[in-house]
This record gives sequence, C-alpha cells and structure tokens, in this order.
Amino acid sequence: MIDERIYQQFVEIGRDLYEQNMVSSHGGNLSMRLGDRVVIKRRGAQLGRLKPHDLIETGLDKNDSGVTLASTELLAHRTIYLQTPALAICHCHPRTAIAFSLSRDEIIPIDNEASYLLKKVPVIWEEFASGTPEMANNLAKALQTYKIVMLRGHGSFAIGQTLDEAFFWSSTLEEACQIMVIAKTINEPFIEYRAMSDAYAKW
Amino acid sequence: MGGWMGKVLDINLSTGSVATRPLDMEMAHTFVGGRGLGARLLWDEVGPGVDPLAPENVLIFTAGPLTATGYQTSNRFSVSTKSPLTGTVLDANSGGYWGMQMKKAGYDVVIVRGKAESPVYVEIKPDGAIVHPAQHLWGQLVSATSRALGQDKNRRNVLCIGPAGENLSRIAAIMNDGERALARGGPGAVMGSKNLKAMVVEGNSKPEIVDKERYKFLLYETRKLLRASPLTSQALPEFGSVVMMNVVNNIGALPTRNHRQTQFEGAEAISGEALAEKYLVKSAACWACPIGCTRVTRTDKVEGEGPEFETTWAFGAQCGVDDLAAIIEANHLCNELGLDTISAGSTIACAMELAELGLLDSDLRFGRADLLAGTVEAMARRRDLGAELADGSRRLAEKYGRPDLSMSVKGMEMPAYDPRGMQGQGLLFATSNRGGCHMRGNMLGLEVLGLPKLIDRFQVQGKSSYVILHQNASASIDTLVVCKFANMGVADEYFARVLSAVTGVSYPAGELVKVGERVWNLERMYNLREGFTRADDTLPPRLLNEPAPAGPSKGWVCQLEPMLQEYYRARGWDGNGVPRPKKLAELGLTDLAEAIR
Repeated sequence: MIDERIYQQFVEIGRDLYEQNMVSSHGGNLSMRLGDRVVIKRRGAQLGRLKPHDLIETGLDKNDSGVTLASTELLAHRTIYLQTPALAICHCHPRTAIAFSLSRDEIIPIDNEASYLLKKVPVIWEEFASGTPEMANNLAKALQTYKIVMLRGHGSFAIGQTLDEAFFWSSTLEEACQIMVIAKTINEPFIEYRAMSDAYAKW
Repeated sequence: MGGWMGKVLDINLSTGSVATRPLDMEMAHTFVGGRGLGARLLWDEVGPGVDPLAPENVLIFTAGPLTATGYQTSNRFSVSTKSPLTGTVLDANSGGYWGMQMKKAGYDVVIVRGKAESPVYVEIKPDGAIVHPAQHLWGQLVSATSRALGQDKNRRNVLCIGPAGENLSRIAAIMNDGERALARGGPGAVMGSKNLKAMVVEGNSKPEIVDKERYKFLLYETRKLLRASPLTSQALPEFGSVVMMNVVNNIGALPTRNHRQTQFEGAEAISGEALAEKYLVKSAACWACPIGCTRVTRTDKVEGEGPEFETTWAFGAQCGVDDLAAIIEANHLCNELGLDTISAGSTIACAMELAELGLLDSDLRFGRADLLAGTVEAMARRRDLGAELADGSRRLAEKYGRPDLSMSVKGMEMPAYDPRGMQGQGLLFATSNRGGCHMRGNMLGLEVLGLPKLIDRFQVQGKSSYVILHQNASASIDTLVVCKFANMGVADEYFARVLSAVTGVSYPAGELVKVGERVWNLERMYNLREGFTRADDTLPPRLLNEPAPAGPSKGWVCQLEPMLQEYYRARGWDGNGVPRPKKLAELGLTDLAEAIR
C-alpha cells in the first residue's frame, strides 16, 4: 500500500509536468525509491491525470507481479537506482532541450540560474531506445557525475533525493534552453557576465 | 600524488619508539582519509576482546586529502579508536587548526599505541616525533596546558586532555586548539589511559593539488554557494549553530527534561537570538572557513568559545534549565576539563529524573541551573556523586535500576532532536554505528529545513532510503575531511569534483557516496565482530512507547520497527542486520566476512 503522502507527490509533479508542456499526454515518467522497492508510473498512464491505481510498486532488483504493469522505462529507473545515490527520477520530454540535443553533445546554459545549478548537461545517445540495458547503463553512468542528462532526440533524465528536486533540474534545463532560443532570436552579441565560465565545459 | 602526503607516523608509548612508513595508497584510494581510513586501520589494529582503556587500544589520528588544501572548511581531522563509552567503533572529528598542522607536518595518519609509564606529551615535526615527560602538566586544565605547550594560532598547535581524560571518564573529550573538541564516545579517556597528556604539532609543507585550474574554479563556485545560502551566510555567522533552538522547538522535536516532553517553554531564553543579544562578544572561525559559526561569549564569570546548539540543549532544555549564563558556564567548564557536553548534559538530566523519582539521593532537580557547574566539575574529577555520572547516563541509570531512563543509543547520549517529531532521525539514531549521534547523518535538512527539499517528518514508508543516503553521504564527507555545515550550502557533487581535482583520481559524485557506503558497512562489520546485534539497533523505550504529550508532535511515538526492517533490506543486509556477502563483495569488503562467521 503506497502512502497517501507519496501518492500526492506523484500527482502534483505529474500534473505540473503536463501543464508546463514537459510531456505529451501519455509521455514521460516518474519514480521513487522506497528502501528496496520502486514506485513507478503504470505503463500507459497519463502523468497529468494520475490516479491511485496508476502507481505501481515493485522490487528494486527483484521482479514480482508489479513488472507486468510498470512503465517500459522500469529497467532504466532500476539501473539508475542501483548505480547512483538517486532516490527519485524525473524523465520528461522538454521540447526545447530535445531540439538542442539534436545538434549538440552537451548543453551549456547561458542564463544565471541554470549556470549556477547545472553548469553543463551532457547529451548521450544509443541506437536503440531507452528500454535497452545498454542505454540504461549509459544513463546510470552519466548520472553518477551529472544530476540531469539528455537522451538525444528523446528527453531528459534527472535524479534527486525527492521528486520535487528531480523536477527542479528538469524545468531549469528547459527554461535555460528556451532562453537560449530567445537570445538567438534577438541576435545580438552575448555579453559574458559569469566569471570563469570557460570552466563549465569541463564540469 | 595530490592531496595525500603519503606518510604514516607510528608512536609506541610503551617502548618510546617512533617510526615513519609510507601510506598504503591503494587503501587511501579506497577509503580516502579521515574516518574511512581510520576505520580501516582500526579494523586491523584493534580486534574483539580488547578493553578500550587497555594499552592494546590505539588512537589513530587521520587527516583527509582535502585537509590543509585551503578549500573552504578543509581544517578538519579525525581520531579513530574503540570507544570506552559504547564499545563500538568510534571516530570523532574536529575543526580548528591542529588537523591542518598535522597534515602540514607531512602526515596523513598518526597512530599512538601502548602506554607510557608516566605522563608524557608528544611533539610532532616534519622529521618525526619526540616523546617528552609531562608530569608537570598532569592535572592542568586545557587552556593552561595549551598555553604551556605554546599554542600559537596557525604555527604551533596543541591537542590535549583535561582532568576528565586523566580520570578516565568515559565521556571525556580530546581538546584541540584550546576549545575545539573531538568530543563524543570518550576518546579523551583512551588518551588518559595511555598517560598521554598532549600532542603538539608544527609543519611547513602543503599538500599538492594536481588540477590547479579546476580547483581554482571550484573554490570560486564554493565561495559563491556559501555566500548565497542564507544558512551559511546569515544564520550560522550571526547566531551560530544555536540558531536551530527555536526552529527545532517550534516543530515539537526538542527533547525536554530527559525526553519527557518535546517542546521547551524556555527555548526562547536559550536561543541563538538570546545568545547574540546578551552574551556574544564576537564570532570566530576555524582555519580556511568563511562561515564563522563559532561564538565567543562572556558572562560575569567566564569568557570563551561556545556554546553550540547541542550543548545549549543538553544543559538547557534537556535539564529544564532556561538560564543561558549557567549553560555558558557549564560549557566553559566542559572545555577546560575536557568533557563531551552532550553526554555530560544528558547524563545530568538522567540524574535529575532519578532524583525526582526518589531513586537517587541528590538535590539535582529539573531546572536547577545553580547545580550545573558543580556537577560538571565533580564529574570530571570523579568527586562525590560526580564519580557515578562520569561514565555516562547508561551506567548511571543501570546502577539505579532504571536503564530505560538513559536517553542513549548503544550507550551514547542522543543529541537535540526528538525522534517522535522526526521519524527518520529516530531510525538514524538507532542505526548509528557509534551510538546516538547526529553527525553520522542528520535528517534536519530533509525533515525540517527543506535541504534540498522538505519531506514529511512523520512519514514512515520509504524513510530508510533517505536515512541510508544521508548516512553514506555523511561518511563520505568525513573522509575528506570537511565541515558538515559547508554541506548546508554546497552539494556533495562539488566535494566529489574538488576531491578529483586535488588528488587527480576520478571520483564521480556517485562514487564518493559509494565510499561512504563502504565506510558504513566496514564500521557495521566492526561492531558485529565486537558482538553487537540487531537488538542494539533500538531507541530508549520512552521514545517507542510514550507519545509526545503536547505540541506539534503530540500523540506520536517513533515507529522504529517498520523503518528498521525496510532499512536492513535496503542496505542489502539480512534480517539480523548482517551485511550479505553480495553487498560486501560490491563494496570490496569480502575479506571482512570471515571475521564474523
């Protein structure tokens, strides 16, 4: 039985992700690690309209009947939990960040908040989608060093101690990418205001 | 080689021999330094059955790869030993200058073993160490000892014990730089048992930094973060750690009168705000620390450093005392006599309850501020009733037939957070490897301050995950060694990057937390080897059975059992709290399994 307080966190963050255009109607995913258990969105459920039966609990490294209902991204979530200190994962499809991931190997924000919080977000890629063990391992490896990474053309995976924190990194990245687009549209010379910003590329 | 100096100094007080040997670099990479390296060396040095006060116990002083680099708060060091208070693995760490100086003398580790025939002090310099007679210092207070041995800011630094350590009080601290303390678990008694009064250190070298450019950037970023956080740039500098008094009291998690209540009506009078208004002379800071949380305070009778939040709580709310001057004076005495303030205050509170119940013949009563100073002095000198209090609350309460009135875990008195109002903190205390301690991870950030984000403090399901993460992260920070307060403004990932830049060895953020998990499991294995069991992972019955009587936590007890079961599973331990072979293998600790088979 999932604690009502935990369910409410999924509902609130899920609704925010949908309302902020960070996911399509049925896209994206959220999960939390609870001890040796994982709570994850049910396969096909809508993040913006989560009901109690849309949260599936299953083992962290052991299968049970929960896997029949869990998201197709379960493997990636489990692998991340097993290889990093993450306690919550936010996977979403931030549109501007996805657009940037199509042409860059890393996204280095120019706005103050994302520079401060993220410094640099790597873009990783695999031939197959994120449901494969290879991609799950690549993701987990990157998330050992970074708290948010982009899958090229697909979306972001962010980790945190809480769903709230993982959502924060996700929305910060999307906002940073939108600002870069707007700055590009204005098309005026960039005035560097951040000391030692050259070091961001080595973050 | 960056970060590490590469040398171990080994001093045998029984034979008078002093030896220097290279640091095992594979061990250093695996356990990093500080508490981690100390625990690994202690595993080999002090096996089961050794009396913590026997010459066979050792004191292992360790710095970390960041100590003395100049990185913010990189002043800290540890001592590891078997605890005379709890019988568990112990490490205590401290700031000030001494640890930085030990590193500058060229040592990552200083081991002291054996027992001198008569009192001695050790003088450590880059070319070795000399053991000097110290009969003239025996019996001296900490300040007098430090002065006599030439304590000089950042040039020559003194670490010593006071009368409490000499008298083998099991709650005796080791003091450094006058008023800093390696406080908990009784390391001062181990030093006293060796007839070792003091250790003086002078150094002139610096640890190498491999990637200077990256390090410079991280210094800049850390400064920015510490200045941006209201906790590290405003609350702690302005009020010191006592700023937490009102915060914890307001949510109904401030243990009061030996944990009979969870809110103290006199909290405002002993708060950080009151301290700043009435008694603060100035703030001060450890070496390389921009936060400056240290309080220098003055009353009609004393002037000196402190008190910290935990101290103010122990002599204050826990004893039902709202007289801040009396608390400051008790703190000052503890510093001079070399006593752990948390254990001292909570042991007096236990005695107060025993006396109120008519079980102990004493004038001690909750609220008797006038008796604090005299009781502290008597404890350190083992005089009168003080002789019964000198070894902590568990031994006192057992003697009078009420072990349940000792507010301790594994024999170590718990600090200022009531598990009935912070469920995760209860699990954290119960499973802490050195006993009831808030420095082995702390749920204050998540359950109260919202660092990084607020979680429900009464939630039970899933709480083990947060506790485990914070225990592991805390252990990893203790290997560097930097200050936990820096972590209030700077996330763990920065520490991992600094460690990588300084040492040239790659430690991704996740890997540094894994180091902490390795240390935690090693310490657990040490305690299991000593005979500790699942039954020791518990809390005083009061916290499990007596609901908080009033305030925001009214009606709550700590729901330990379901959290504990989840905790063992999530740690990869069996139902008895023994790490499974798979977990030990994952952490590179397979060789330890044989010891508890």
